[in-house]
Amino acid sequence: MKKILVADDEMSIRLLYSEELKEEGYEVYLASNGREALEVVDKIPLDLVILDIKMPEMDGIEALRQIKERRPDLPVLLSTAYGEYRQDFATWASDEYLVKSSDLEDLKSAVKRYLQD
Amino acid sequence: MVAERTAFLNQMVEVFTSTVSFGERLNNMVHLLARNLKVDLALYFALDKAKETLFLNISSQGPVPPHLRVEFPLGQGIVGETAATRKIKVVHRDHRPAPQTNALLEKLHPAYHTLACFPVADDNFLYGVMLLMDREDRSITPTERQSVQLVSLMLAGTLRQAILQDEAKKRIAELSVLFEVGKALASTVELEELLERIVSTTAKVITARGASLQIADAVSGEVRVSSRYGRVPSGGPFPPPDFPVSGGPAGPAYFEAEAMDSQGRTHYCLAVPLIFKGQLRGALGVYDKLAPDDGHLPFDPENRQLLYTMAGLIVSAIENALTYQQVEELAEKNQRMVKNLTVLQEISQALLTTVQADKLLSIILQGLTLEQGLGFDRAMVMLVDEATQTLKGAKAARRTPLPPDLPLPRALLLPLAQEVPVADWEVPLQADEGPLVVAALQKRPYLNQPGLDSDLPRALRGRYTASEFFMVPLVVKDRTTGLILVDNQDSGRSLDPEPLDSLQMFATEAALVLENAQLYSTIEANNRELLLIRERMLESDRLAALSSLASGMAHEIRNPLVSIGGFARRIAKLVDEKSPLRGYVEVIQEEVTRLEKLLREILDFTGENLSYYGDHDLGKIIEDTLILVQRDLDAFKIKVVKDFSPLPRLHCDDRQMKQVFYNLFQNAIQAMHQGGVLTIRTYTMNKEDGVYAAAAISDTGGGIPLEVLHNIFNPFFSTKDYGTGLGLAIAQRIVSRHYGQIEVNNEMGKGVTFIVSLPVAKYCLVKEEGQGAAPAAVLKATKGG
Repeated sequence: MKKILVADDEMSIRLLYSEELKEEGYEVYLASNGREALEVVDKIPLDLVILDIKMPEMDGIEALRQIKERRPDLPVLLSTAYGEYRQDFATWASDEYLVKSSDLEDLKSAVKRYLQD
Repeated sequence: MVAERTAFLNQMVEVFTSTVSFGERLNNMVHLLARNLKVDLALYFALDKAKETLFLNISSQGPVPPHLRVEFPLGQGIVGETAATRKIKVVHRDHRPAPQTNALLEKLHPAYHTLACFPVADDNFLYGVMLLMDREDRSITPTERQSVQLVSLMLAGTLRQAILQDEAKKRIAELSVLFEVGKALASTVELEELLERIVSTTAKVITARGASLQIADAVSGEVRVSSRYGRVPSGGPFPPPDFPVSGGPAGPAYFEAEAMDSQGRTHYCLAVPLIFKGQLRGALGVYDKLAPDDGHLPFDPENRQLLYTMAGLIVSAIENALTYQQVEELAEKNQRMVKNLTVLQEISQALLTTVQADKLLSIILQGLTLEQGLGFDRAMVMLVDEATQTLKGAKAARRTPLPPDLPLPRALLLPLAQEVPVADWEVPLQADEGPLVVAALQKRPYLNQPGLDSDLPRALRGRYTASEFFMVPLVVKDRTTGLILVDNQDSGRSLDPEPLDSLQMFATEAALVLENAQLYSTIEANNRELLLIRERMLESDRLAALSSLASGMAHEIRNPLVSIGGFARRIAKLVDEKSPLRGYVEVIQEEVTRLEKLLREILDFTGENLSYYGDHDLGKIIEDTLILVQRDLDAFKIKVVKDFSPLPRLHCDDRQMKQVFYNLFQNAIQAMHQGGVLTIRTYTMNKEDGVYAAAAISDTGGGIPLEVLHNIFNPFFSTKDYGTGLGLAIAQRIVSRHYGQIEVNNEMGKGVTFIVSLPVAKYCLVKEEGQGAAPAAVLKATKGG
């Protein structure tokens, strides 16, 4: 079973994503900020990370940088309420930049794309 | 003997002091002398006025019949010798042969033997000679001699009295004549009437048939005034125009002549010069002194003297009258000047009521043409176009017919009723355009030479006709800014100098107000531009504030929306299709979707999205966008007409541009739900700051109601029940970010045309490769943007 980490400071988003992804047959880990996310990355052999950008303590951009340092192979999808971070070169290290939507089809299809093999 | 002598002397003194007439007294004295001396005859010979001849005046034997009126030239005969020598002479006929000259005396006393001749004189004047004749050959005793000498003295005294009285009478008569003349001259100051009175009084006083007076201008020699009275004979002599002013050594100058007319009658003329301080000169003349027998008499020296006196009086009277006339003319001129100044002042006041060039021109033309104003028939204003250095017709008019009692200040503000079209008048400001343009260039007024068409600049020949016209230049700060042209062509009156003077005064002010209006309109234009810029700045400030607010809110809302929407979808999956809950959940889902779409639009508008600049073909962008709306176009049966011109490539964000056209197409489609034609035209246009590529999108949807037209680019303004109202606002935002413009051409009842114009050259200096600076990875993920 593929292991996915969902890092988002919004509890409702974490719940929604985990429910949807579990339903798709993934094992879901949760974190509420970048620091927690890194702890999970260190402990668990993850297959994919879904990162929010605006989070307390450590934001998604810093977390992305450190995850890519530790595990360059690990696909990281940015899922954010903001579009403008696209202009930030730091986000270019991510594998996908997704603007949050209640319709999770885009997200799920992207996850599927990276975890197909 | 002594008693006898005393008696004679008594009688003599009695006669001398008697109050009978001088002639009677003289007769009595001569008679008394003859009786006393006992001589046959005592005769008095009087010396004539010319002091050349002595003629028999009184005889002791009574009145002298005409055939006995003998006379002696001075120095001839006993009588002439006595008068010439003033010495007593006694001659006896037999002693010496009597001189031939005395032979005349035989007519008086054929048998005389003794002649005794005594001078009749006082201490300085000889009046005549007393001659005693007797048939006896007798001597004159010393006593007799004394008696005769005494009588001679008395005769002389009486004669002097008579002359004095005669002269006094004449003086009185002359004075009364002069008094009459003076009265006439003083009675009026009206020059023409005065001259009439002068000539009529002169003629009456001298009893002449006619009189004339003429005064010539000293400088030009032309006759300035002339007047006639009575009959001035046409065939008779007339004083010549080059009448001498000063006489010769013989005395003051005069003119005297006589001539015979065709009927054989002699006409006489006497004239004296009139000298006015050496400035004006003329002549006062009289013609044909009336004789009692209805014939004409020559004029005598007394008449001449009187004429001189009258001439002196006349000169001073005419001088007075002329002065009075000048004063009156001056006063009249002053009055007219005051009126003209008042007119100018009222025009000035009216000019203060506006700063608009067109209104000012109208007031100026009214002022120039109105009857209450300067009263020209026509007036034209031409202004210099600095760019082309030409004079261009600004405005022209004929007089507006208005009631003459309408006060000028009100009349000035009324519209021109008879404008003359001059908008196409164009005259190069060059010296070879004739004297009118030369004068304008030299900043001096110009009065044309009547009938000389070449006065006019070539461009005006045939278009402007006036036999007489006047031009005054408009000059500001030593620079010709235009000109005013006036004429009286409609009425044919000549141009009076006074309104022309006023016009010249007025031109300075007209030039200034027109210049001010020009400056004001420039200031106004600048001001408008500033206001526009300020408005835009305010709007961009407003939009910036709105942006940050909207952006903050949008992000805050997005997370909860994602949760609500996401869980609603999850619930929907769990709820049975037949359950009423299913509908509720779907409502939640739809509403969330709608809100998310709104969020995307707001965030687009507030600039969340990245720009992707590159060189693009506007035609291709439009074609691509049309594909996106093809379904709607088909659904509403909207025909698309494309008229594309080849355009230079544009440096722009193609996605944003597609958004612009997408929004404009959506707008057009909304307006044409009943079907219609969507026309898309592309073309290049040249603006002041360079070349633009333009696209005009026209619909046939009936146009935008006027009351909402000014709002269409305002964010959140929508006439539709759906949509955010941001469509056109976003389009405008994007276009202005590309330094372009969107214009609206609204035709009520037909449709709307939106014209998008984008600069092609100016902002394409930095060429970027491909689609822009963003990496491909980012581009892949634009779907949610």
